[in-house]
Amino acid sequence: MKVHVKAFATFREVMDSQFDMDFPHGATIRTLLAELNGKYEGLGELMFAAPGTLRDFVNILKNSRNVHFLAGLDTPLDDGDVIALFPPVAGG
Amino acid sequence: MAVLSKEQKERYQRQIAVVGEDGQEKIGRTRLLIAGAGGLGSTAALFAAMTGFGTIRIIDPDRIEETNLNRQLLFREADIGRPKADTAAKALHTMNSSIDIEPVMAAIGTAPARDLIRGIDVVIDGLDNYPARFLLADAAWKCGVPFIHGAVEGFYGQVCTIIPKTSPCLRCIVPNPPPVRETPIIGVTTGIIGCIQVTEAIKLATGTGSPISDHLWLWDGIRQKSDRLKIERIPTCPFCGKDEYQIPAGERVR
Repeated sequence: MKVHVKAFATFREVMDSQFDMDFPHGATIRTLLAELNGKYEGLGELMFAAPGTLRDFVNILKNSRNVHFLAGLDTPLDDGDVIALFPPVAGG
Repeated sequence: MAVLSKEQKERYQRQIAVVGEDGQEKIGRTRLLIAGAGGLGSTAALFAAMTGFGTIRIIDPDRIEETNLNRQLLFREADIGRPKADTAAKALHTMNSSIDIEPVMAAIGTAPARDLIRGIDVVIDGLDNYPARFLLADAAWKCGVPFIHGAVEGFYGQVCTIIPKTSPCLRCIVPNPPPVRETPIIGVTTGIIGCIQVTEAIKLATGTGSPISDHLWLWDGIRQKSDRLKIERIPTCPFCGKDEYQIPAGERVR
């Protein structure tokens, strides 16, 4: 299945802004992040506090819904999903 | 029904051509709270004053430091050490002496958020951390006052307008905020984002267009790209999804 990935703000300094990825049935957000981690050097350190533990500020939207309110990293991927990764900025 | 004075018609002639006399009169009747007199707040306050918002209440607990001068355009070198809120009010008065400017030297969290919002029509977020944003945004939601969120880091910025009871709340949009820290900021980005926030306030005051209320508007100054990231209201959101919100430990809304 095909999933469209979009990255915003400072994530764009270590990865592409948007692209498609293919996954087998049963893949989850965790699978996607592991793939990205392998694909982009520096992304793992930016996103993960420890292996398998996302940094608090990494917000992941599946079709406009924050996975924080779904099943977190275990949220399943579906064909045609748009996954947005954004670190909210904070300064004023 | 417009009730602009001859002086107001003269002063705002070029923008009355955009918003009409009725729109200008609505702007004049709108009372803004600008939370923070930093990069976003000073930009927003300057344009709000020039646009003719009738009341601008500007809140900041701090004094001006040399490191503020790369972005906080209401302040001059001679102002270092002076209170931000009072100094901002004096600067705004020199730009437009016909509007009411209320400086408040207080921090969100020490001053009761509901008191700060009392009598206010629209809040502009010029804060620099999420604990303070949540306090003020929660109070604005409960008081039925729109909250125009803005934030920056480096060349990146974000804006969304939170309309109580209809749009996603700030906790739906940013359930996982970044930690409080000193953020790298370049002045042009606070200029861009502060201006977008005042644009939102003008739209709300005059009923023009649609606010950025069901998505987050993201600015990327490196690639000159803006994106609209649609965000849905979360039915199970711990704040807006329930009638009785349990305040997390360590936070207080007074």
